[in-house]
Amino acid sequence: MKVLYGFEYRRGVSVIHRIDPRSKMIYVILFTALTVYFVNPLLLLLVLSSSLPIVAISRIGSRWSQSIKGSLFFIAFIFIFNFIGIVWATGSVYDAVISGISMSIRFIALISIFSVFFLTTSPEDLTQSMVQVRIPYDYALTFNMAMRFVPTLSREAQIIMDAQKSRGLEMEKGNLIRRIKNYIPVLIPLIISSFRRAELVADAMESRAFGASKKRTSLYVLALGKRDALFILITVLSFLLLLSLRLVLGIQ
Amino acid sequence: MILFEDVSYSYSPGRYALEHVNLDIGGAELVAILGENGAGKTTLVKHINGLLKPQSGRVTVSGADTKNSTVAALARKVGLVFQNPDHQLFAETVEKELAFALVNFAMPPDEVSRRVDWAMKEFELTQYRDRPPFMLSGGERKRLALASVLCYDPQILILDEPTTGQDSRQKIRLASLLKRLNGEGKTVLVVTHDMEFVADFIPKVVMLSKGRVIAEGSAEEILTNRELLMGASLLPPQLAELSWDLALQRPTIDLEQVVSAASKLVGGSQR
Repeated sequence: MKVLYGFEYRRGVSVIHRIDPRSKMIYVILFTALTVYFVNPLLLLLVLSSSLPIVAISRIGSRWSQSIKGSLFFIAFIFIFNFIGIVWATGSVYDAVISGISMSIRFIALISIFSVFFLTTSPEDLTQSMVQVRIPYDYALTFNMAMRFVPTLSREAQIIMDAQKSRGLEMEKGNLIRRIKNYIPVLIPLIISSFRRAELVADAMESRAFGASKKRTSLYVLALGKRDALFILITVLSFLLLLSLRLVLGIQ
Repeated sequence: MILFEDVSYSYSPGRYALEHVNLDIGGAELVAILGENGAGKTTLVKHINGLLKPQSGRVTVSGADTKNSTVAALARKVGLVFQNPDHQLFAETVEKELAFALVNFAMPPDEVSRRVDWAMKEFELTQYRDRPPFMLSGGERKRLALASVLCYDPQILILDEPTTGQDSRQKIRLASLLKRLNGEGKTVLVVTHDMEFVADFIPKVVMLSKGRVIAEGSAEEILTNRELLMGASLLPPQLAELSWDLALQRPTIDLEQVVSAASKLVGGSQR
C-alpha cells in the first residue's frame, strides 16, 4: 500500500505546485509517449531523469522515492517475466537482460512521471483544469472523488483487518488458497462500506443542490501565466531533443 | 488482569498517542474509558488485544506480556467490539456471522450452534437468522457485531462506543447485560462519549486526555469534577449539572440523592 503515498497530493509551495495542471499534463503526455516509443535502456534512463529536476524543485523527494521503492516488487516481477519470455523466444540471454532492463526502466519512468504529477497537483485544481478543457463536470468530479478516497479506503482496510483479527481471523495462516480466502472477511465489508459511503456522499451532495443548474460557476479559475509558458517551453524542447536522439542519431 | 506499565505509543514521530500510561484494571471490574476525540482511547484498547504492541513499556493481560502473543491468541481472552459494525460484518447470513469467531477458534459444531442460538436470543436477532447482515437496520447491525464477539464468551470484553444509534430500550438492555457479565466475574471496558450512560450504569471511570491518564476513580467522583470534565472537553451528566445549580454540598450523579436534596430545598416532603 506504501506505493500509494507516492501519488497522494500534499500541499506545497514550490513553483511546480503552482504550475497549471494543464501545463503539467502536457509534460505527462509527451514523456509518457517517449517511454512507449523508446527501446534503448539509455534513452529510457534519460526520460526517467527528466523528472528528477521537477522532484528537486518541488521538494517531494521523500514521497517520490516511496513510490519508486513501493514499485520495486512489480519491477522485479516485470524483469523476471520479461527475461524468461525473451530467453524462451530467442534463446539469447544478452537480449533478455537488455530487454528486462528496458522494461524495468520504462516502468520506473512511468511511475516517476505520474508520481510527480499527482504529488504536486491538488485534486481540486485537477478537477478544475479538466472542467476548463471541457470535460463534463460529472466525469471530472468522479475522477476527483476516486482519487480522493484512495487514502480513506486504505485506512478503512486497516480498520477492517483489525476488527477481523480481533475475532480470531489469522490472515497469514494456511496454504495459498486458504490465504486468499482469508481476505474475504476484509474485502466484503470494504466493498459494502464503500457503497454505503458513495450513497451518503451522493445524498449529501444532492442535499446541497448538486446538479441544480446546468452551468456551474467556479470559486477559482485557472489561468496560464508566464511560469506556465516557461515550463511548457522547457518541456517541449527537451521532448524534441530526446526525440531527435532516436530520429536523427538512429538510436532505437 | 490488565496491567499497563509506563506504556508509550506514537503513530508519527514526535506526537504521542499514548504517553507513559500506567493502568491497573483488576478482575471483575466494569469500567468506562472517557476522553476527548483523539485522547488515545482506541489506541489504549488496541493494546489490550495485541493489535498494537507498546513501543516502550509493557502491557500484560492476566500475567502474560502481549508482546509474546498473537492477536488471534489474545482474542480468545479479549473480545473487542469495534465502533462501526460495517467494518466487520461480512457473512451471508446472521447465523454465519455469529459463527465466524467460534469457527476460527475451532469449536466443535454442536457448541457453535448452541452459542449462536444463545446470542441470537440474547440480542433479539432470532428472526433474522437467515438474513444477510447488510439488510438489518443500523441498530440491529450494531447488536449483531456485539453478539458476534460475545458469543465466544471472552473473559475481558471491550466495547468501543456501544451506545451510538441505540434507543433507550436497547441502552438499558445493554447496560443490564454488561452488569450481568460483570457479575459473572468478567472484566468489561466501555469506550464512550455517552456521559449519561456512564453516569447511570458504570461504576468506575478512567479518563484520558492527550494520551495520558488524567483521572481514575469512581464515576461519582470524576463525573462531578467540573474542572476535570472541562479540561477533557466532556459534557457533564445532567444530574451533576443539576447538583451544581442547586449548590449541593456534595454534588452527585445519583437521581435519588438529587431529588431528595431538591425537595428539601423547595421545602416539600421527601419522595
